[in-house]
Amino acid sequence: MNIAAHPVAPEEVMAFLDGELAPAEAQAVSAHLDHCAACASLAVRLRGTSESLAQWSVPPAPSNLEESVLAQAIKGTRNPSKPASTAQLSFWNWRLWAVGAGGAVTVVLVVVAFVASMIYSEDRPRAQRPMASMIASQDTAGSAKPQVSNMLIAQEEKQSAASAGVVNLAASADKPLPESRVAGGGGATAAFPAAPAPMITRTVSLIVVVKDFAAARASLDSILLRHRGYAAQLTAATQENAPRSLQASLRIPAPELAAAIAELKTLGRVENESQSGEEVTQQHADLAARLQNSRETEERLRAILTQRTGKIEDVLQVEEEIARVRGEIEQMEAEQQALEHRVEFASVDLQLTEEYKASLGSPSASVSNRIRNAFVAGLHNASETILGIVLFLEEDGPVPLIWLAILGLPVFLLVRRYRRVKAKF
Amino acid sequence: MSDAPRGSAPDSSQAPQSDEELMIAFSRGQTDAFSALFTRYKQPLFGFFRRRVANPAQAEELTQETFLALLRAASRYQQSALFRTYLYAIGFKILSAYRRKAAFRAAFLSEQPPGHEPAIDNAIETQALMRQAVGKLERLDREVLLLREFEQLSYAEIAGLLGLPLNTVRSRLFRARLALHDLLAAPASHSSAHGFAQSKERL
Repeated sequence: MNIAAHPVAPEEVMAFLDGELAPAEAQAVSAHLDHCAACASLAVRLRGTSESLAQWSVPPAPSNLEESVLAQAIKGTRNPSKPASTAQLSFWNWRLWAVGAGGAVTVVLVVVAFVASMIYSEDRPRAQRPMASMIASQDTAGSAKPQVSNMLIAQEEKQSAASAGVVNLAASADKPLPESRVAGGGGATAAFPAAPAPMITRTVSLIVVVKDFAAARASLDSILLRHRGYAAQLTAATQENAPRSLQASLRIPAPELAAAIAELKTLGRVENESQSGEEVTQQHADLAARLQNSRETEERLRAILTQRTGKIEDVLQVEEEIARVRGEIEQMEAEQQALEHRVEFASVDLQLTEEYKASLGSPSASVSNRIRNAFVAGLHNASETILGIVLFLEEDGPVPLIWLAILGLPVFLLVRRYRRVKAKF
Repeated sequence: MSDAPRGSAPDSSQAPQSDEELMIAFSRGQTDAFSALFTRYKQPLFGFFRRRVANPAQAEELTQETFLALLRAASRYQQSALFRTYLYAIGFKILSAYRRKAAFRAAFLSEQPPGHEPAIDNAIETQALMRQAVGKLERLDREVLLLREFEQLSYAEIAGLLGLPLNTVRSRLFRARLALHDLLAAPASHSSAHGFAQSKERL
């Protein structure tokens, strides 16, 4: 069609034929058609199309249409009479099953993944409980080594006065520090009643916020003195424009522990408190048994040395052996001593923090410095945030992408299929 | 030429009232007004569905459904447009709902999509050809063409019904008519049809 430089657009010819033009325009187009062959032939084609379409007649509507409409209107139901032509959903065909099963499998997978991660995260702290495993191992070890327990019973008979227990031992010895008692010789440690009373090493952790730091510090010292405890380590921090704080690792005799803790709590507001205990009875009993054996061996070796005569080589060999056994005994004694010390002295991790009051008179940085610092901090924060986003995307991005692929692909395929079929209607 | 009633003016031979007046009368409770409307629009509406849906029984059912919807909505009727536009708008909604459902069933429930029905009546073979030719047009072109040729709607009414700008209606109608002309002129040779390849791609 030669539209270029043509006064009447071909669509206007069509609109003219359809009677869609205003009278003035219609007149113009009509006049144009009289002397433009191209437009006239277009008009003929358009008319011809309409005429051929008109041959597409439709059979008359069913005569009972009105009755059935009224009947249905009265019934107030929708399509009750013609279920066949609306094509009932055939619920049991495989395609529906496939879609349903796919959905169900996905849901189950998601639930399993979720529950598994929950269980996993619950399991970890449970594995770290020491007490139960300690007691269990004690039971099995006890039955496996009858000679050890026999020996322990014999020891207990000897030491009938001491009615067992770590706490009682310290009390009956009436000495706060174990060194003096242990230094008494092998007899004292060998007589340590290990069974049946449990030996427990205790650890307490306390975080206390105090109002008056100096007073709290003083009363901490007096508490330690009163309960015959000592500070294994102590760090006090006094910074400007910040609350003062104190971090200490205290050792308090086990029988005094409860009283000392109660007093420590009165220093201020307790923010956090945790206590734990570890049973070391079996460990200690094992150590005692091994020590006993080594001592007996030493005795025998000494007897050999004094009673028998032999070559100088043999004598030297026996002396060497005695020295080795002596070394073992001393090592074990040291271990035993450390263990007993841990039992006798509970460990308290104390953190004292002052309730901070900002003082008005404190010298502060100049305004320009503060502005500059804030700007630098802002830049730093911004870069950290961007870095965080990037890291987050790197770390957590792939998993959603996988899920998107797993779930999105079937959905995409189904939608595409639906679209294709719909285009046919 | 068409089975649409000639306009909505009260110059139709038997009925003194316009469609709109009848509908308002019906919405006020005059049931015979509905009968009159039904008589006027039974055949056009049936034709509307019959030309768009291959299955005759389905077309009948959709016609029924449209009239039922009209009955139910009668109390809310307000004369904002011509009655026939209103009626065809309802028809269109029902038709697209049917198409959605049928497409869903065909896509996921392995039900057969409605093919073009076999030419039951040899006398109307031309109609089967016509249906085939129209079916080859692009969907929106086809809709515009059918609304213009058979429902006799004005360009503005078509634009309102399909939610298209008036110019789009005009250009699509023009394109559809020329394409159909070519399709009908040379139904055998596929390649000669103007715009046919394009419309086939979209189908």
